[in-house]
Amino acid sequence: MRWGTIFFALCLSASSESVTSYTNNVPPGESGERYDEDLFIRPLLDGRVATTFTFTTDLLGNVSRQSESSGQHYTLFPLTLGQILREYSIAELHLTLNSGKWNYDHWGYPDDPSVGTGAELWAWMADGPSSTIDERWTGLRNALAGLFCASLGSLDTRHTSSPSTVFPISFSSSIPHGLRYANLPSENVCTENLTPFVKLLPCKSRAGLATLLNPQRIFDADWHGLSIHLRSTEVGTELKLGVQAVFDPVRLSGGRRRDWSFRLLFDRIIHDSCLVATSSVVRVQIPDSGSHTLSPASVVDDNLTAMYNLMTQAPLDVSMSWPHEHTFQYPHVHESRLTPLSIQRTLHGSSQIHGHLFIALTNNGHHDIVVGYFENLPALVTLWMHTMEIKVDGTERNELISNVSYRPHQVLANGQKSPSTFQAILTVPASSTLHLSMEISRAFLKYTEHPPDAMRGWDLPPAILFPVCEPAMGICGMQNTSAGMRDRMYTPTLLIDLPTPDFSMPYNVIIFSCTLITLIFGSIFNLLTRTWVIVRVED
Amino acid sequence: MESPLFLPTLAACRLLLAWVQLPVLDGLQLDHQLTSPLTSYFRLKEGLWLYHHGVDPYLGGVLKHSPLFLSLFSTVSPGRVAWALSDIVGAWALVRIWHSRQQLGQSRRDGLVGAAYLLNPYILLPSLASSTSTFENAVVLLTLMFAAEGRPSPALLALALSIHLSLSTSLLLVPVLMLLVTSPTSRLASPRPFGGSYWMVFKYASEFVVYWSVLVCAASIMAGGVWNWMHESWGASLILPDLTPNPGLWWYFFTEMFDHFRPFFLMVFSTHLAIYIMPVCIKFQHDALYAAFLLLGILGTFKPYLTLADPGLFLSMFAVFPEIYPYLRHAVVTALLHAHASLLLPLFHALWVIEGRGNANFYYAASLVMGVAGGAGIVDACFAGMRIAIGNGSEAERGKWEVVQQ
Repeated sequence: MRWGTIFFALCLSASSESVTSYTNNVPPGESGERYDEDLFIRPLLDGRVATTFTFTTDLLGNVSRQSESSGQHYTLFPLTLGQILREYSIAELHLTLNSGKWNYDHWGYPDDPSVGTGAELWAWMADGPSSTIDERWTGLRNALAGLFCASLGSLDTRHTSSPSTVFPISFSSSIPHGLRYANLPSENVCTENLTPFVKLLPCKSRAGLATLLNPQRIFDADWHGLSIHLRSTEVGTELKLGVQAVFDPVRLSGGRRRDWSFRLLFDRIIHDSCLVATSSVVRVQIPDSGSHTLSPASVVDDNLTAMYNLMTQAPLDVSMSWPHEHTFQYPHVHESRLTPLSIQRTLHGSSQIHGHLFIALTNNGHHDIVVGYFENLPALVTLWMHTMEIKVDGTERNELISNVSYRPHQVLANGQKSPSTFQAILTVPASSTLHLSMEISRAFLKYTEHPPDAMRGWDLPPAILFPVCEPAMGICGMQNTSAGMRDRMYTPTLLIDLPTPDFSMPYNVIIFSCTLITLIFGSIFNLLTRTWVIVRVED
Repeated sequence: MESPLFLPTLAACRLLLAWVQLPVLDGLQLDHQLTSPLTSYFRLKEGLWLYHHGVDPYLGGVLKHSPLFLSLFSTVSPGRVAWALSDIVGAWALVRIWHSRQQLGQSRRDGLVGAAYLLNPYILLPSLASSTSTFENAVVLLTLMFAAEGRPSPALLALALSIHLSLSTSLLLVPVLMLLVTSPTSRLASPRPFGGSYWMVFKYASEFVVYWSVLVCAASIMAGGVWNWMHESWGASLILPDLTPNPGLWWYFFTEMFDHFRPFFLMVFSTHLAIYIMPVCIKFQHDALYAAFLLLGILGTFKPYLTLADPGLFLSMFAVFPEIYPYLRHAVVTALLHAHASLLLPLFHALWVIEGRGNANFYYAASLVMGVAGGAGIVDACFAGMRIAIGNGSEAERGKWEVVQQ
C-alpha cells in the first residue's frame, strides 16, 4: 500500500514535470497552432442528408523544412503525421478512403471533391537529392498504411502514375516537386481506419464535433469516406481531416419521413465542446422549400445557412423536420440534375478477352463544357487507342477531343507493369451527350498472378474528369463558373473479369506437355539414328 | 485442275475475296487460332497509332512486329488486297519450287501444287484474318524458291528478311545454305554424302550476315535509332511475355509454370527447337530442300506463338514431295487428327473465353491434339523420306521381306 502510494506520487511528479518542460520549450510565437472544427449538413433532394466534418489544424512555420536536430513539438498537430511529413519531405498529401458511389446527379458536388471509390493517395514531394521520389513514395505508402490500418502498401508501382495536370500543386515553390498518384478501388473503409483517424484529433472523440463520429452509424451510411488533406500554405502547413457521409433518414424511418437529428443520424448528441478549438461550428443548409422547422432555432444568413457555435451552445442536438409532410415523396428521377455534367462509364461485351469501354458525358446546361478526362488503368486492361470513337447523337465528332496524351503500360525494372494513363480534353456540346468509346483487351495472367478469389474479377479504378486550366486566363476554372466544372468528378468503378486458367493442375500441364514433346522428340530421333535393315519374313 | 487456266482462275478468285465484305471477317482479326500477338494486324494498327502520336510503339508491350512492318504500313495502307497478293506470291513460289525440284518448265501437277497453298484453310483463314504470318510464309517460300533456283543473293536476302520478321525461322538457315550449294532435285531415293563446297557455304553465310545486319540497322533507324524493338519483337519468342492462348504448346505450359522454374523451361523450350537442326540436316544432307521441309514441320508444331498458318505451310509443302506418298505410314490418321484439332480448337476456345461455360483445360486439350497432329505429320514425313531409299521391290517379292530399324 505504502509502496504503491510512493510509486503513484513519483509518476505524478514526473508527468507534471514533463508537462511544464514541454510548455516551457515552446515559445508561443514560434510555432503557433490553431485548431478549427466544422460540420456542414446538407439535406438533399432525395431525402438523404450529406454531412461533412472538417477538422482543420494550422501549423504556423513549416514542418518539412525544419532541421533534423530540432525536436518536433506539437500541441495540436498530430505528431505521427508530422514525423511522416518530415521523413519523406512531403509538400502536399491527400489520402481518401471512400466507400459507395457518389451520386452527382442528385447530390450535387461533394463538399470535399475526393469521392472516388476505394483508396486514393497522391502526394507532391520535394525533388531532393538525398533519396529518390520513388523511394520516399514507397516509404510514405507503408507509413500511412501502418498509421491508418489500410492496405496502402499495395499501392505499388502497378498503380502509380504522375498526372500533374489533374492534381496540380496548390502552392508555388522555387524547389522542383514531383507528384505520385495511386488508387486502389477494391480497398474498403471501415472502423479500423476510423479509430486511428480519430486519434489524430486533439480532443479525440470525447468532446467537440468528433463526438458524433459513431462508427456504427458512419459506416451504415449510404456513402461514407475519410480524408486527409495536407497542404503547405504561405504561413505554414494546413491539415484537414475530413469525414463525409450521406445518410438516408427515409430508410432509417422505415421509408416514411425525411426528418433528421443528431440523435437519429449519429445516435449521439454533442455534450461538450473541444476546449482547444479556436472555433467549432455546425452549419446547416436550409432547403429552398420552406415547410420545415429547424430546432434549436437559429439565424439564417444570406447563403441559406443556419449556424450554431458549439463553444456557446453545447450541449447541442440539431434537428430538422417537415411537420406537414406525412410521407416523403421521392422527386422524379430526371427532374433536375445538380451538376452541369452527368457521367456514365460502362464496359460492354460478353467475351472475356475483348470488350468496349464506353463513356457518356451529358451536358445538362446550355453552354459548351470543356473538361479534362483522365484514366489510370492497371496493366490488366489494354486500351486500343486506334479504335477510339467520339460520337454526339450518333455522328462522329473527332474535333471534340484534343490534347490526347496516352502512356501505355511499361514493364519496370522490378518486373511489375506500370499502369497505362490516358488523358484528353473533351468539349461537350450544350444540351447533348458525348459518347467516347474504345476497345479494350483483357490480359491473360500467369496462374500465380491471380488473386485467391479469381472468379470475382478485378476492380478498375474510377476515371476522373477535371476542370481544364486555360493558360491564357491564368486561373483554373474561372471562366463561366456557373456552366463549367467546379471541381474534379469521379466516375464509378468497374468490375472486370479476366479469363482464368485452371488453378488445380500445374503439375498435370507440365506432365502432359512434356510427355507430348518427349514422344515426338523420341520418335524422330529413333528414326534418324537407328539403322535400316531388311528382314526376310519366314513363311 | 490440269487446265493451264486453273491457277490464274484460282488466283483471281483469291483476289476477288479481298473485296468481299463479310461481317465474319472482322471477328476473325481477333481470333487466337489465326493471329498471335506477334502477327496480329490489330496490334500493328495500334502501333501505328502510337507511332503517329509520338509515343514509342514498343513501350507498352502491344507491338511485337518488326519496325519494317511499321514503316511499310505507315507509308502505304494496303488493305486486304496485300494479303491476297501475298498468298498468290506464296503459291507462285511453291509452284516454282516444284518446277526446280522436277527440273521441268511446266507440269500437269502445277495446278494441284498451287491449290495446295491457296485452298489450304490453315493458310487461307489467317490470311483473311489479316495476320502478318501470311507475309512471313510468303517470304519463307520465296527464300526456298530462290535457293532452289540457285540464286544465292536473293535467297539470302529473303532468308535474312524472314529471320528478321520471325526469329524462329532461323531454323532454316543451315538447310537453305546447303540447298544453295547442292541441287534441289529429289535425292531421297538415292542418298549420297553432302557434295557441296564448304568454302561456298561459308561465303554465303557471310553474305547472309551482311544482309541481316543491314536489315537490323535499317529497322533500328526506322524505330528511331533505338534497340528496344529487339527485346519486344525477338525477345517475345524467347521469354514469352504475352500469354494469349494459341494452338501451340507454350502458352498454357508457361501460364501454369511455377515462377522459379520459368527461366529454366524457357531455355529448354528454345533449345528444343534448335536441337533438331543438326540431326535433320545430317540425315538429309543429300536433299536439303527436304530437310528444310522437315524443319518447317518442327516449327509448325513447337513454335512459340503458333498460329494455324505455321502447320499450314508444312502441310502445303507436302505437295512438292509426291515421291514419298507411297511410304507414308499413317497419312489418314494425321489428316483425321488435324480435322479433330481444327474443329475442337475454335469450339473450346469459344466455350472458355466467349461463352464462359468451359474451362481453360478444354482448350489446352485441343491444343495437345494439335500438337499430336503436328508431331504425327513430322514423324511420318521423316520416316517416309528415309524409307524411300530402300524402295518397295518388285511385286513378286512383296511379303517375303520387311524393312525395320534396329
